[in-house]
Amino acid sequence: MKCLCCLLLAVAVSTVHARSESYSEELFVKPLATGFVYSFFQFTVVREGGSFSHSDLVPHSLGDIIDRFRVAELHIDLTSGLWRHKSWGYPAVDAPSGAEISARFHNDTQDVNKNWYGLTNALSGLLCTSLNFINSANSYESSADRFYRYSNLPRENVCTENLTPWKKLLPCDSTRGLSSLLNSGRVHNANYHSLGIHFRPLCNNTSKSSKYELRQTVSLVYDSVFISANNKNYDWSLRKMFGTGLFRTCPLADYSKIYIDTSANNSVPYVLSQNPDYFLKENIAVYNLNGIFHLSAVMPRPKVVVSDLKPILYTDRFITGFGQEYGGLVTRIYNEHRLPVIVTVIENIPWFLPIYYHTLRVTSNGVCVMPKALIYKPGKGRMQIYYLEIVLELPSHSITEISVQFDYVFLKWQEYPPDANHGFYIGSAIVKASIPRNSTSLTFDKSLIIDNLNSSDSSDSDYLIILKTENFIITLPTPDFSMPYNVICLACTVVALAFGPIHNITTKRLKLTTAKYVPGLASVVQKSYLWLENMVCYKNANKVGKATSVRVFTPEELSYHPTLGHVSEEFMKNQVACKES
Amino acid sequence: MEKLLFFVYSIGILIRIYLSFSDFSTLIADRVEVSTPLNSWKRVIEGVSLYNEKINPYDGDLFHETPLTLVFFSYLTSTISDFYVSLVFIICDVFTAIVLYYTSKIYTANLLKEQSKTKSVYNKEFNKLLIPNNFLIINPVYVFSVYMLNPYTVFSCIARTTTVFNNLFLALCLYAMVKRLRFLGCLSLVLASLPTFYTFGLIAPLMISCASTDSKKKTGSFIITLLTCVAISCSLLYLCYIIMNEWTFLDSVYGFILNVRDLKPNIGLFWYFFTEMFEHFRALFVCAFQLNASVLYVIPLSIRLRHDPLLLATSLLALTAVFKSYPSIGDVGFYLSLLPIHRHLFYFMQQAFIVSCFFVGCTIFAPTVWHLWIYSRSANANFYFGVTLAFATTQIFLITDLLFAYIKREFALKHGMKRMINGREARLMLD
Repeated sequence: MKCLCCLLLAVAVSTVHARSESYSEELFVKPLATGFVYSFFQFTVVREGGSFSHSDLVPHSLGDIIDRFRVAELHIDLTSGLWRHKSWGYPAVDAPSGAEISARFHNDTQDVNKNWYGLTNALSGLLCTSLNFINSANSYESSADRFYRYSNLPRENVCTENLTPWKKLLPCDSTRGLSSLLNSGRVHNANYHSLGIHFRPLCNNTSKSSKYELRQTVSLVYDSVFISANNKNYDWSLRKMFGTGLFRTCPLADYSKIYIDTSANNSVPYVLSQNPDYFLKENIAVYNLNGIFHLSAVMPRPKVVVSDLKPILYTDRFITGFGQEYGGLVTRIYNEHRLPVIVTVIENIPWFLPIYYHTLRVTSNGVCVMPKALIYKPGKGRMQIYYLEIVLELPSHSITEISVQFDYVFLKWQEYPPDANHGFYIGSAIVKASIPRNSTSLTFDKSLIIDNLNSSDSSDSDYLIILKTENFIITLPTPDFSMPYNVICLACTVVALAFGPIHNITTKRLKLTTAKYVPGLASVVQKSYLWLENMVCYKNANKVGKATSVRVFTPEELSYHPTLGHVSEEFMKNQVACKES
Repeated sequence: MEKLLFFVYSIGILIRIYLSFSDFSTLIADRVEVSTPLNSWKRVIEGVSLYNEKINPYDGDLFHETPLTLVFFSYLTSTISDFYVSLVFIICDVFTAIVLYYTSKIYTANLLKEQSKTKSVYNKEFNKLLIPNNFLIINPVYVFSVYMLNPYTVFSCIARTTTVFNNLFLALCLYAMVKRLRFLGCLSLVLASLPTFYTFGLIAPLMISCASTDSKKKTGSFIITLLTCVAISCSLLYLCYIIMNEWTFLDSVYGFILNVRDLKPNIGLFWYFFTEMFEHFRALFVCAFQLNASVLYVIPLSIRLRHDPLLLATSLLALTAVFKSYPSIGDVGFYLSLLPIHRHLFYFMQQAFIVSCFFVGCTIFAPTVWHLWIYSRSANANFYFGVTLAFATTQIFLITDLLFAYIKREFALKHGMKRMINGREARLMLD
């Protein structure tokens, strides 16, 4: 009976909790300007209540980590490929190639670094990534917030082993709902793919209880020419992109919707195989999912599609110089807006690329500009990155260039990665800016995609965009990895070349001798024999009690002196002369 | 002779001025043989600009000069323009040459004085071993010319390395040795060795040369010199602390020198050795190499060369220039210009030809293989390492040859030049 009561109670508690969590699945598809198709999956759990000890929809494995390490906000992106802002516009989630993680901890956290390394280690196990390689040499804390940590691993290779554990965090796993579209074979075939986990608190002024949002996102960009059957047109369909259609929706989801952005229809129309349930803002087709579903789009005449709204801000980044001695790093920011824009640029440069602060130049259309604010923290070898944060006002219609000189560093031979001549990946810089909402077609700062699409405050308020620049590779000069023994031997030989003669000069004296050179051990034996002989002779002389008198040399026997050894005749003559006088 | 001196003087200055204001100056300053992490002007500027922005330059990895240098250059660059900064370097270099000129002059005069005292002891046969009187005039000119015209010192000056100031202090220290000025010697020695550490070994020749002739007071004099040096360095270090308000600069300066944190190639032996070192042996070999470079030879050589402190100083300077962790050709140029002071030993030197050929060869080969390795990527690190090995070996040959020449001359003065025993050919041997 007791047991039954407990069970009932547990069920009751869980139902209470279930009510505080809501789950929705959404897919947003947008044909991009140059024949690419962008599809953005978002699986959102919104939850009220602080602790994650009981939850129905939020994965326990992640909830425990968030609780244990006192995480207030967490963003993880695992990306492969490069998002081209200039032709594709802004993505829903901007992520640089490789792994990127940032976290904000609760304000009462004692040792933030300890929690940060604990968090990254736990997540590396959870997602099968190499986040455990994060240490003080590749992460930084924000200049404004000491509870914030950021790191990126540009070399991280994102693959199936990350997708599978990522899918396991979803309430319906990959068996039902939109997540059944995510087949690893197709996902990793994409030109650009990015997995994300985004956990953040939501502001709600009405209720006192805290509200959290956990979004799992996937961004995929397919080349529609590449996936189309005859490689000639821009046709695309769910099956072509993901290898399967949709069969069953996830029963746990409150929302299950697909949105198609048809705004490009004005220039080049395409025909959707199904009529949407309704249109949102006239050009977004919305499909409610409830059962088997398939969708394809046919473009009658393939053409270069003209982008409807060019991004007002995009970046470029490259290295200058040649050789492996001195180089320069240039970050370019293009402002196409008719008004000046204020941006914050954060460069995090690893310690093996030491930058010279005094060579920092910021020019806008060729004219030097003063940054509005500048924070620079010099790096330290194997310990700390070079952190540079610049706040700039970009003039309207301008190209702003931030350039800085750096040295190529010579590392120890064991610090080079395997295949050392492939080079080192340098992570992206971050450009943050607030732009007017009406200057970008889509905004993605609300919990659900539908709220974002529906948002009415289009004119005045600012929309924060975060751009991640390209990664780049530099090849540091390498030593010869097969040489350690040789180098140690040769260098020590040179040291010995100095030590030997100086040892001889300082401990021995010059003698003239006719004796033949006796090598090695034999000379030691010979010397000790002579020494013994001398000892015996000396003792004998004492025993007999001979008077020790000064011996005067005759010129005939002068060539040997008992203490000086063989000496010249002239010297002896002098000696004799001295004695005689 | 004065005309010659003036000629050398003007040529030296003209070369320096011409190269400083031509495009070659950055090319030379970027050479690894000239600028090391410890003395490069680029890093000084970096440190100064960070300091002016109120960022502690010792937090970073680029600046390794002492706070005194930092404040000095901060003042220098803020008050005068770039043109005059170059001039300051040139003037310091010329001043070093002049100090060395007088050092040589006084030293040779001392030698001659001593010789005239002991002359009566020597046989007439040794006349050709005696130092002729014209050395008094010619040697200083040689020293001056070598310093003014040696490409090593010229490049070092044009690249605006801090070695220029270091050399100036070292020259003052040598001058104080021959003039027996204890305080000047200690002060300049400390100023020279605070940023570079290794030259502290020169305290031995300084102690010997400043000691009084009375053997009873000798120990006391040694201790006074030592204490003066220690007191000055402690007070200067404390001054550094006052400037920076923290002790982190100690690790950034001395920790950097001793732990060999920057493995950028230079003309020394450390860079490739510690690039290729197995991590668990690193501490052992760092200790061994640093001992070898700093204190190993100081005591034995001081005992052996106690009668000739300047030769002792020269050989210690040369040994540290070979074995220190970040050597540059400025250091090499400095001790090379000291060699003509010991011209009376040249008669006994045997390897001058080989050594000079190797010097020329290495000087040409080093930039060539560097270009092949770093820019055209057709060679690898071993090529450059080979050249630095050859360069170090050459310098070692030069030093040991000089030391051998000294003891051979000593022997010859005592025993004559003929190497015959009972009419049979004999050979000189160390035993």
